[in-house]
Amino acid sequence: MSYAGVTPSARSRAMVRESRHLLFTVAPGAIWIIIFLVLPSVYLMGVAFMTNGPYGLPEMPLSLGSFERLAGFGFLGWSPGNFYTLLRSLWQTLVSTGLVVLVAYPIAYYISTCRDKWRPILLLLVVVPSWTNQVIRTFGWMNLLAPGTPLSSLAEGLGLIAPNMGLYPSNFAVTLGLVYNFLPFMVLPLYAAFEKLDIAQVEAAQDLYASPVRAFWHAVFPQTLPGLLAGVVLVAIPAFGMYVIPELLGGGKGMMLGNLVANQFSGGANWPLGAAGAILMLIATFIGLYAMRRIGKRLGGGEEVVI
Amino acid sequence: MKKRTLKRTLTGFWLFTLAFLYLPLTVVALFSFNASNSAARFTGFSWRWYERLLGNEEILSAFANSMVLAIVSSVIALVVGCLIGYGMYRHRHRKLGWLIVLIYLPIVLPDIVFGISEMAFFVQVHRLTGFLQPGLGTMIIAHVTFQIPFVALIVYSRFVGLDPTLFEAAKDLYATPIKRVFHFMLPTIKPALISAFFLSFTLSVDDFVISFFTAGPESATLPIYIWGAIKKGVSPEINAIATLMIAAVAIVAAISLIFSRRRQA
Repeated sequence: MSYAGVTPSARSRAMVRESRHLLFTVAPGAIWIIIFLVLPSVYLMGVAFMTNGPYGLPEMPLSLGSFERLAGFGFLGWSPGNFYTLLRSLWQTLVSTGLVVLVAYPIAYYISTCRDKWRPILLLLVVVPSWTNQVIRTFGWMNLLAPGTPLSSLAEGLGLIAPNMGLYPSNFAVTLGLVYNFLPFMVLPLYAAFEKLDIAQVEAAQDLYASPVRAFWHAVFPQTLPGLLAGVVLVAIPAFGMYVIPELLGGGKGMMLGNLVANQFSGGANWPLGAAGAILMLIATFIGLYAMRRIGKRLGGGEEVVI
Repeated sequence: MKKRTLKRTLTGFWLFTLAFLYLPLTVVALFSFNASNSAARFTGFSWRWYERLLGNEEILSAFANSMVLAIVSSVIALVVGCLIGYGMYRHRHRKLGWLIVLIYLPIVLPDIVFGISEMAFFVQVHRLTGFLQPGLGTMIIAHVTFQIPFVALIVYSRFVGLDPTLFEAAKDLYATPIKRVFHFMLPTIKPALISAFFLSFTLSVDDFVISFFTAGPESATLPIYIWGAIKKGVSPEINAIATLMIAAVAIVAAISLIFSRRRQA
């Protein structure tokens, strides 16, 4: 819209009209998100700094007690329970993200080498299982890993687990569930990276007598790095806060931070402790997003990595 | 020669991964037809768990809750999100950083933090004012909150893809803004509205964590019902209802495959 040759009062009237338009279109949704998400999150953060009251509800005075309890300090001195849960969340996130990369990388490459008309179908085949509800998928693994099933008998026969124990509940089952759940999140961005791979660089490396390993490392891998990083963020952030999979497949000794947080709001209630755990999760999330942006900027040369 | 071994190894790995991806779903489907209630051994074919579903009122009401929740929340999110998407487009030259942060917040927030902060908030508001009792209403509010960003982003990108002169032309041709909305804008962004609605619907049906924490005692959805049944001790009926949900996904997948082929052709 051009305001050339319009009197100042008409211009300011047009600006008022534009502002009012912005208000009417954006305000309902913005207010909705502020009331029903920003306000509750801010409230939850406040709760973390309050004292645990009789029914687990937060009370004054303000204190840092729940952060101390999260690190394991309680009335009876230091106990490792909560601290182990934190370590386990971190460990499970690292291991499952690593395994997802190891599986997804060859799969994404394989799909990109197939014929054009097959590629969408192969991608669909990878993604479809993740369209079913997470609870159902995890339930499927419970059925597969329970004592007496072929997989459990096999593991028993190989001496990997004690007789009649079954493969679940265990930390192994949680790792498996996480890898299963997040595989498509890694395949998709990696596939996108492979699809626009500049093959001339690989050929140049081969012409210069690079060994296949060196050609891969110097010509292929750097080109797929942005996709890999996008995948790592898409996998690692939700894996760290996972609730359903450790709850169903992990049992008491497979608990992760998400379960620790959720438990404080139900049975053994302690809202401030749960809120402190939630803050920790938020910090991890924002560190992950920030690191992703920094690395993405350095690598991509201005190319935005879409999350 | 070497290249062929690589290709063959990759094909083998692909088939193995495919088996890994579909094994859990296949097992659920297979045992839904099991004659006995054993979860480890298949003893013979029967429809009995499906017959039991029809008589199970809890499951039927959970299904109804899931549908009401998904449809109502998607409709609200469509209206609110569409308005934001248009506002973002029309005012894209202004500094709207705060709005972008607000819109990405529901997407980046971990599910569990999202669900628990809403739950804590609803519980306290209900204690103080009597409004917002946990139930279908609070679940709808929570679902709309995570659906709005997706609708807004889809609608926004549709507007960005349009030729800007179209808006000028529409302005010249139609007298009133109301006419412009109903005869130009809505018809032009119809594909975006349809895909935004279906995405919202799918996100709602697929969600467990946020529903779980904002639900009331009588507003269990299908995933919440299944969760409870798993926790209580596995009954083969869960296999049957889970198989129906898997079948629904398979049908949607088949339809999307047909559409993508037609678009290619």
